[in-house]
Amino acid sequence: MAVTTTDVVRRNLRRQGTDWGGLLFEGALLFALLVSLGFLIILVGQILVQGLALLAERGTSFLTSQSSSLPGRAGVSQALVGSLMLMLFVVATAFPLGIAAAVYLEEYAADTRFNRFITVNVRNLAGVPSIVYGLLGLAIYVKAMSGFTGGASVISGGLTLAILVLPIVVITASEALRAVPQGIREAGYGVGATKWEVVRSHVLPAAAPGILTGTVLSLARAFGETAPLILVGAVTGVFFTGSGSLVEKFQGAYTSLPTIVYTWSKLPQAEFQKLTAAAIVVLLVMLLTVNGAAIWLRNRYERKW
Amino acid sequence: MTDESTLVPALTGALAAGVATPETAEIVFDIRNLSVLYGTFLAVRDVTLPVHRNEITALIGPSGCGKTTVLRCLNRMNDLVPTARVEGEILYHGVDLYGKDVDPVEVRRRIGMVFQKPNPFPKSIYDNIAFGPKIAGFKGDMDAVVEGSLRRAALWDEVKDKLKGSATALSGGQQQRLCIARAIAVQPDVILMDEPCSSLDPIATARIEGLMRELVADYTIVIVTHNMQQAARVSTRTGFFTVDVSEDGHRTGTLVEYDKTEVVFTRPSDPRTEDYVTGRFG
Amino acid sequence: MEAPMTLQGELDALEADILRMGEIAEHSVGRSVEALLERDVALAQAVIAEDDVIDDLYLSVDRRLLQTLALQTPVAGDLRLISAIIHINAHLERIGDMAVNISKTLLSVRDLPSSPKILSQLQEMGDVVRPMIRTSMEAFSRRDLDLCLKLPKMDDPVDRLNMGMYKEVAALASDPLLLDWGMRMNMIARNLERVGDNAVDIAEQVGFLLTGEFREFTDASHEVAPRG
Repeated sequence: MAVTTTDVVRRNLRRQGTDWGGLLFEGALLFALLVSLGFLIILVGQILVQGLALLAERGTSFLTSQSSSLPGRAGVSQALVGSLMLMLFVVATAFPLGIAAAVYLEEYAADTRFNRFITVNVRNLAGVPSIVYGLLGLAIYVKAMSGFTGGASVISGGLTLAILVLPIVVITASEALRAVPQGIREAGYGVGATKWEVVRSHVLPAAAPGILTGTVLSLARAFGETAPLILVGAVTGVFFTGSGSLVEKFQGAYTSLPTIVYTWSKLPQAEFQKLTAAAIVVLLVMLLTVNGAAIWLRNRYERKW
Repeated sequence: MTDESTLVPALTGALAAGVATPETAEIVFDIRNLSVLYGTFLAVRDVTLPVHRNEITALIGPSGCGKTTVLRCLNRMNDLVPTARVEGEILYHGVDLYGKDVDPVEVRRRIGMVFQKPNPFPKSIYDNIAFGPKIAGFKGDMDAVVEGSLRRAALWDEVKDKLKGSATALSGGQQQRLCIARAIAVQPDVILMDEPCSSLDPIATARIEGLMRELVADYTIVIVTHNMQQAARVSTRTGFFTVDVSEDGHRTGTLVEYDKTEVVFTRPSDPRTEDYVTGRFG
Repeated sequence: MEAPMTLQGELDALEADILRMGEIAEHSVGRSVEALLERDVALAQAVIAEDDVIDDLYLSVDRRLLQTLALQTPVAGDLRLISAIIHINAHLERIGDMAVNISKTLLSVRDLPSSPKILSQLQEMGDVVRPMIRTSMEAFSRRDLDLCLKLPKMDDPVDRLNMGMYKEVAALASDPLLLDWGMRMNMIARNLERVGDNAVDIAEQVGFLLTGEFREFTDASHEVAPRG
């Protein structure tokens, strides 16, 4: 028979000793967090110290000067332009192709073994090391299609990054499409819409925020790639970009921010170490901006079904 | 007030093609020996029941008895399931609904559906209603269509000042009435309702039942409900389904009894029906 | 195509039919007593024929009550109303039958002599029970509890006259034909007393409808209700 007098109940409800195991576990988790943060802080801190000092000293000339063998005159303008142009190619090619492929896979393709096979392998492609894409780009764009791309040009670099990023775009767009509730499609069919009308008027607009976020994140990933670009011929030395025609600009030498970081970090002069740090700061700022934009977009358009 | 005469010719032009003459108008759906398979799984077997015009016909029964499957055959929504196969015959105004020349998209314009969980498009109230007529090729006064549909769904007064507002901001009961208005906007012949009140509170449910009684004057309504009392309250005819378990454990839905509702609820012919409506079943 | 049934619509229709039955029943009782007093054989036959109207209404109301219960599952006040109508329906049908009995009794004694004193007492009983039916029906239609509570007191003179009838009839012992007639009149007095009881029962049902409690206003075994 249960005893329910107040004193007995009070005694039963009181905490029975301290939860040492739980406290220990919590402490271990906290320690892991601090260690990870610690590394990050040390790394970024070092760079910021060096880089900010140089940026303060050189000011905007750092951003507007071209590469040079003289540390006092070297700048990241070509790298910035190069990175931007590469991103342009990624946006122009990977995004439409990737989104269209995702729409087909999610909305139109029947659930056959073959199609499931394709979907699995798209995921595998996303995990392929980026240098392999560099090799692919070298073989196809630089060598085989050199008439169109001009060899080791920003076109080749851009297309290489595009196919690198393509699987990620397909995957994130697929996820966004899958997240659209089936009820909305049924509602569309229910009033007599065709499949295309349902996809165009309801599924895509509903998935747009998710697709947008995913594609912006893949853009950030492409921004930071170095190895494949080096393979397809981004310039790692000093070069001069004059006022050539537009075609020459596209088919000529180019470089990107991560590439120039790589380049400078290998130079012996101590000054170039500071330049490397400064370039990293610029790179980080750009990455944070792009990622921040993705987060802002996601929060702005987040839907509650 | 809405002048429906301009709306009807615009839509019936598109609607009229391919529909049989109204000599058989008394019976809207002549369902004969309908069986539905998903792959090798026989979901429902050998259903025969006529649905009459301007009546509310209710399909009741325990879970898994195939009533929703049968309902979704009536507007070919089962076509969206790749493994679904339909045997037997469904004649809609005398026309074989699954005939070779029949376009499922056209079917769904005449046979609308309201779903269990309200599913308004994540757009404005106005756009929700306007979508159907727009894709059907309607070129007339859309404002009038929207107002007319919302009035008939008893929602106009509550939303007339926020037509451009988001449909998902409405309450559950309002969303379901919006879905009814959306279905009405394409001027269907039939409205199918798949457990329309199961996610609503009793007051919202009562409003929708009242709405159904008004709408049945102009539409034929078929409703699937697991709430027997609702079937008793609103329907003229009731079909009771049950699950047949075969020796090897296969569960298939069958139609046990189909009769006027007052007969089903006062003197059902089949003891299984009696057990179900008195609550002794299951 | 008939409009779909709504609970309120059905309840309103059933109530209207009950009120109509009440009118017809009261009318029949009055006409049967009148036929008795006037020795009007044709009128008595008309009363008997008109009972079909009450019976048809009774069956129709009964069927629709069952249907409403099955299809609309009424609760609370609606359920009490259905319950009250079930009983009132039966009581009114019984009242109709009493009127038929009185008329049939007249037909069987139409050639016998009569006693004016006894006839006037029966007239008095009739003049009391008819307002009783009217009052109980009005209590129902107006949902008036005070009117309900008047019924038991109205029943007192009817009971008194019914009890006294035995002595009056016994006094006719000397004349065998008159005695024969008198014993039938005793039955008519009983019939009229039953009409009064049924009217009180109707008021009890209305009391239940209004209060949710069932109280017997008059009980054969002991007095229960307040008087007026």
